[in-house]
Amino acid sequence: MSKKRRGEPPEFRAGEWLKGDGPQNDIAICTRVRLARNLQGFRFSPRLEADEAKQLTEYVVQRLAAPGLPDELAVVDLPLLEEIERTVLVERHLISREQATSKKARSVAINAEESVALMVNEEDHLRLQVFQSGLSTEAAWKHAEQVDEALMQRLPLAYSEEFGFLTSCPTNTGTGMRLSVMLHLPGLVWAEEIEKATNTAQKIHLAVRGLYGEGSKALGDFYQVSNQVTLGRTEQQLQSDVQLAVSRVVQWEREVRDALLRGSARPRTLDRVHRALGTLERAQILSSEEALGCLSALRFGVHHGVVDGFDVAAINKALLLSQPAHLQRFTKERLEPEERDQRRAKLLREILGCEP
Amino acid sequence: MQICSSCQKNPSTIVLMDLDGGSVSSQQHLCSPCAEKLGVVQPKTPLKLSADLLEDLLGSVQQKASQKRREPGCPGCGMTTQQFKNTGRLGCPRCYESFRDDLVPLLQRVHESSQHRGRLPGQLQAAPPPMLRASAPMEELVTLRKQLDDAVRGERYEEAASLRDALRRAEQRDAGGDAGENS
Ligand SMILES: [Zn+2]
Ligand SMILES: [Zn+2]
Repeated sequence: MSKKRRGEPPEFRAGEWLKGDGPQNDIAICTRVRLARNLQGFRFSPRLEADEAKQLTEYVVQRLAAPGLPDELAVVDLPLLEEIERTVLVERHLISREQATSKKARSVAINAEESVALMVNEEDHLRLQVFQSGLSTEAAWKHAEQVDEALMQRLPLAYSEEFGFLTSCPTNTGTGMRLSVMLHLPGLVWAEEIEKATNTAQKIHLAVRGLYGEGSKALGDFYQVSNQVTLGRTEQQLQSDVQLAVSRVVQWEREVRDALLRGSARPRTLDRVHRALGTLERAQILSSEEALGCLSALRFGVHHGVVDGFDVAAINKALLLSQPAHLQRFTKERLEPEERDQRRAKLLREILGCEP
Repeated sequence: MQICSSCQKNPSTIVLMDLDGGSVSSQQHLCSPCAEKLGVVQPKTPLKLSADLLEDLLGSVQQKASQKRREPGCPGCGMTTQQFKNTGRLGCPRCYESFRDDLVPLLQRVHESSQHRGRLPGQLQAAPPPMLRASAPMEELVTLRKQLDDAVRGERYEEAASLRDALRRAEQRDAGGDAGENS
């Protein structure tokens, strides 16, 4: 059975999330560096009055306009956006849920490639995010460092020799750096080893969280691994810690996948992938959760040659576009949950090219 | 029951009203510690006695750090130690100095370190750490001042008197040390 790819969905450039390239891209989807920075002379964001928040945001935006930034950033004034457009930015990982729902003046500055996003007036005055596809901690850090340098030249950042960059919450103090790698770990989940992997990571001060879904429940076998400590180590140390630890998780996932595709485990694994494909091809109503599970299995199947004719970039795109806000934006109307699940099923068939 | 609008914690015992043309234009509910801190009501301690004693006990100390010592909050944002302890969040960059004593053990617990080793804004990276030399005696002074303040507030005047003497000795030593090194 061979599938032909359909035309590209009509919107968005491919962000780093969607590319499906970069080192270890069968398992590592994307690497993200987040830097927390604050300005001298203002209280931290959660304690700013409405007019101070406005003043801060306007000041930062005006300073960003000075020439010489390593990336050209477009500023989005968040209060002016419709709620659904803000949620679209959350689903694209460009702003946080808190930033989307806050009532105060706030902005985000984004480059065209969506590899740089600078949140203004989030929990800290500035939250810089830099994305790089695959497991690329060094490249991501290098890029973040460049943008950070430019921020330092433009803005009076708050720091001390003793505590480094001063942040609203002391858990981010020092480097202010959170380095995360988004991983697709169906092998560890299916083989019921994910808890072991999570516990191991926690022992070496890494946090493991689900990428989709609220709280601890991970949907679709997608996880993010990040450093917890931000103080007392250099950025390079943190970067090599995360790189090393994530490489081990990737190695582990690979071994488990091999085992799942061998011997007596193989039929069950193939069954899983084909059932997922069957659902994606035929289901008329698909919840967000079920869609994530099926796309996860399909992604696994494609990488291991169980099914062919699908493009990993298209699957990544399907993962993104099947989320509620993207779905509604795509269909250009507000949808009730039941309608949403119907539209999702239809949209996924289109993106994956299974529409008869 | 209303909760204090300043600390968001204690039950309020005082209602503060703004009157505008005879009608109430706004009101604020405060607990008595917050009301004291904001200077709305006088402290409970016997007023005359403590004022006189403070004058005597704090004398020279006050010139150096009077604002900070009367209000144990952060001079940058007004956050109090209690607010910091309740929320675990800081109010402004200056809070890091204001709450340093509580912050260092917290950072140790979270990060197993309380000393930054990463990069800093470029041109300043090469500058020598200015506080390093003075830090040991400075800490002693800060501790003594705090103990003295506690003793006065707790009306333990004998203890306060001996702390005052210790503080004066420490201050003289500190001043002498600085002069010696500078010459
Ligand atoms: Zn209060
Ligand atoms: Zn403060």
